[in-house]
Amino acid sequence: MPQEELGDVIEEYTAGKRTRLWLLRQMLSAIPRSRSRFAIDQKGSRQMLSSLTQDLRYVLRTLRRSPGFAVAAIAPIALGIGINTGVFSILNNVMYRPLPAPEPDQLLSIYQDFRGVQKRSVHGARSMFSLPEYRAYRDGAQTLSGATAYTKSWTVTLGGQSPQEIEGVLVACNYFDVLRLRPAIGTGFTADCDVANAPPAVVLSHALWTRAFAADPAIVHKTITLNGLEVAVVGVAPEGFDGTELTRAAFFAPVSLQPAFYPERNFLDDPQVSWLTLLARRREDTAIDQVRTELAVLASRLDLQQPGRATTLLVAPATSLSLPVARRDLASVAVIVVSAFGLILLIACANVANVLLARGEARSREIAVRLAIGARRARLVQLMLTESVVIALIGGVAGSLLAWWSFQALVPSMLSSVPRISQPRLDAHPNLTVLWFGLAITMATALVCGVVPALRGSKQEPYGIMKQDGAQLKGHPGWWLRGALISIQVAVCMVLLISAGLLLRALHAAYALDPGFQYRNVAVVSVDLRGPRYSDSAVEMFRRQVIEQLGSLPGVTAVAQVSRVPLSPGRSQGTFRLPDMEHTYEFDVNTVSPEYFTVLGIPIVSGRTFTRAELDRGARAVIVTEATARRFWPGQDPVGRTIVAASSPEAVLEIVGIAGDAHVSHIANTESSYFYLPAGPSVQRRLALLVRSETGFEPLARSIRSTIEMLDEGLLAQVQPLGTNLDFWRRGSRSVATLAGSLSVLALAIACIGVYGVVSYVVMRRRREVGIRMMLGASTRAVQALILRETLRPVGLGVLVGVAAAGASSHALRSTLFGISPFDPIAFVAAAIFLLIVAAVATVLPTREALRADPVTALRHD
Amino acid sequence: MARREHLGEFEQIVLLAVLRLGEDAYGVPIRSEIEKRTGRSLTVGALYRTLDRLETKGYVTSWFSDPTPERGGRSKRYFSVRPLGLRTLRASRDALAAMWEGLEPQVTRGS
Repeated sequence: MPQEELGDVIEEYTAGKRTRLWLLRQMLSAIPRSRSRFAIDQKGSRQMLSSLTQDLRYVLRTLRRSPGFAVAAIAPIALGIGINTGVFSILNNVMYRPLPAPEPDQLLSIYQDFRGVQKRSVHGARSMFSLPEYRAYRDGAQTLSGATAYTKSWTVTLGGQSPQEIEGVLVACNYFDVLRLRPAIGTGFTADCDVANAPPAVVLSHALWTRAFAADPAIVHKTITLNGLEVAVVGVAPEGFDGTELTRAAFFAPVSLQPAFYPERNFLDDPQVSWLTLLARRREDTAIDQVRTELAVLASRLDLQQPGRATTLLVAPATSLSLPVARRDLASVAVIVVSAFGLILLIACANVANVLLARGEARSREIAVRLAIGARRARLVQLMLTESVVIALIGGVAGSLLAWWSFQALVPSMLSSVPRISQPRLDAHPNLTVLWFGLAITMATALVCGVVPALRGSKQEPYGIMKQDGAQLKGHPGWWLRGALISIQVAVCMVLLISAGLLLRALHAAYALDPGFQYRNVAVVSVDLRGPRYSDSAVEMFRRQVIEQLGSLPGVTAVAQVSRVPLSPGRSQGTFRLPDMEHTYEFDVNTVSPEYFTVLGIPIVSGRTFTRAELDRGARAVIVTEATARRFWPGQDPVGRTIVAASSPEAVLEIVGIAGDAHVSHIANTESSYFYLPAGPSVQRRLALLVRSETGFEPLARSIRSTIEMLDEGLLAQVQPLGTNLDFWRRGSRSVATLAGSLSVLALAIACIGVYGVVSYVVMRRRREVGIRMMLGASTRAVQALILRETLRPVGLGVLVGVAAAGASSHALRSTLFGISPFDPIAFVAAAIFLLIVAAVATVLPTREALRADPVTALRHD
Repeated sequence: MARREHLGEFEQIVLLAVLRLGEDAYGVPIRSEIEKRTGRSLTVGALYRTLDRLETKGYVTSWFSDPTPERGGRSKRYFSVRPLGLRTLRASRDALAAMWEGLEPQVTRGS
């Protein structure tokens, strides 16, 4: 209303001649003419656009005017969207981003799934190919412009001044050709580099070339030593390319080097070993389905050569993580992670929705007036949606920036706790897909947050609202909805809290757990003797010498040889049966020297340990664990009995002793099928020794290294405390527990803001009622109890729902929970009590504020 | 007159009220003048809508006084009739008079 009109109205009204009704009529008469936001809209898009900018300005002004609300609404949304976008960008990167090569959409990864094959050895994954199989596909396929193959990463020792372990892959000669990558320097592999007697060659990664050879351009045609083998450098891979798998490859060597790197087995001509991943490039004019059809025909031709075999090929666009098993595993982990982070976003949304609902109710009169004077409902919904869209957009942008900035640093540190990916080839830079994802969840957030409040807020009965004086609140149509939102928040929060509780309990258990063997003051020494420099007899000689010399070091009390270091990742298994039975069992097997039991303090509870003579002649003796004895010979003494190794030919082994149970395979479990076999004289080229000493670890490690250096200065000895292996298990549960803990704290904080906000709003609206009650003599305590009872009802409901949901879903965590049940009552009860206390505090604080007010003032409050 | 403009009845009433009040023609007196003489009540909004229209057509002009406290610190907006307004008012009256000519007895009898 223009000021001169307002002036007239005020002048007349204050003169006292006019009634209130008159005043109202004057006001209403002014509205259609003013440029009010809620003026009756004319049609037309320009109008719509200008109304949108008006809304936008209005919303931004509101946010600026109440910074507390802005922060409370935006911060959780920013965190929620940011974390979700970040997690998605990692998944996207690993699972969908194409390989770093020209025309990457033509690259396909190929795996197989077969049945009816009895004897197949696996070096990598069963779904990989043997070299003859690879050649058959490569030579037979017309729909492919090329097919190449590579192995999983191999660890080798790079010789030189200071030997170091590096990881690289073995590849077919056409690897770089199929990828269409040219070496940065050098010529790369020749076409016949993978025939059996080709001169050993290697292509270095740009990173290794820079790091270990100071980017020396003359490196090409020089030789380097890998596992003691002289290998000619024929090229350096282009900068930034370090393989097609998650683990960074430092070198690329022809598959023909396999026997040199792993002398125990020759994979090259063996048609029944899975060790190669196929990477193919489809011809430009063929579709992936044509490739599938053609390769299926080739596969069935291969099946014909082996009666009973049925092969299914899995052809998919190539990514850094193509292996089907790994994709499945990651997908199942991703589901847990994404739903946990999604839950955070959900409660953040519930919070914003709740605040918007509260504001909608506070504004209900204003809205009713606007509806009364002709604003259309769609127009109101637009304004309210603008509000939530703006909040979500600000949150989304802030969150995505946060994600972009923090994940660069966070991801590598998180992944370092994942075994086997020491230097992941991963860049968390967002691409267009990630951007779209971020935008999509931002908009989804805006809708989830905004629609319910907008529809609810605009659905006012103008007449009823204007009459209402705000005294009564229960029975208000918005109340149940807000209660429901609180319940949802609390339930989600409960699930996260219980998960965190379980994981924290598990973490505690992991630290408190006694693994059943003495791991302190034990050093693990591993020496890699693979390569041509050591003949079998030289390995045996070295083994005797090193054990003898380490045993004579000052402070060392015992040295044991072992094939499986306790609690190291992976397992060795063998197939055995009882003499008079057909059924075979898979047993975990460890070949050890007799000192093993001394070093680790594992008692021999019956019988004896291996004798020196048994070791030397490789006697067929076996020591079983107590748990194994209980399982297979319950109530009997197995010493003196025999078992049969289901190898060909079968070998009969005599049980000479029973060892105490120890958690050597898994930190919380004892295997109930575990054997010890005598170490030696079969050659162990990856030699592992356990050294017990009375001196500290550092001086011991130094003297161990110098001892081995004196024996052979070209060898790389790794020395670690045995406790590190326990840390490996703990680290996993620690990072999961930390993650879950911080998530649940976040959830709790958001839910508290929600509870606090709603309660203070309710209390504010009920001030008059509270005032009347207190004037009539109700005690502060009674009023407080009343409000507490009413607001804690949705909280209690949420707790119940949350406990039920957590109970239904906690089995998903089972693999990370050592030593406690997924239904651990302490975690469940503690989480519930904790949440109830926090919710009660969030209720009591705003109530106290209201009760302190003077009842008379409260009564005047509208 | 190139442009033949017609004044509505209410427009004439408002113009006449402004003329009557002379120096003192602002919202409140205009409305009370109209209410007193015609017996109709009208809202502030309706009055200003008409005055704004008359000003756009060039029949009246307006200016603001200094703010006064009894109006909550708001200014008064004074109006005066411009020559074009006077001419048009006259034309309207003449047109009506021409139409009325000779009908007086008939209309009086009929009522």
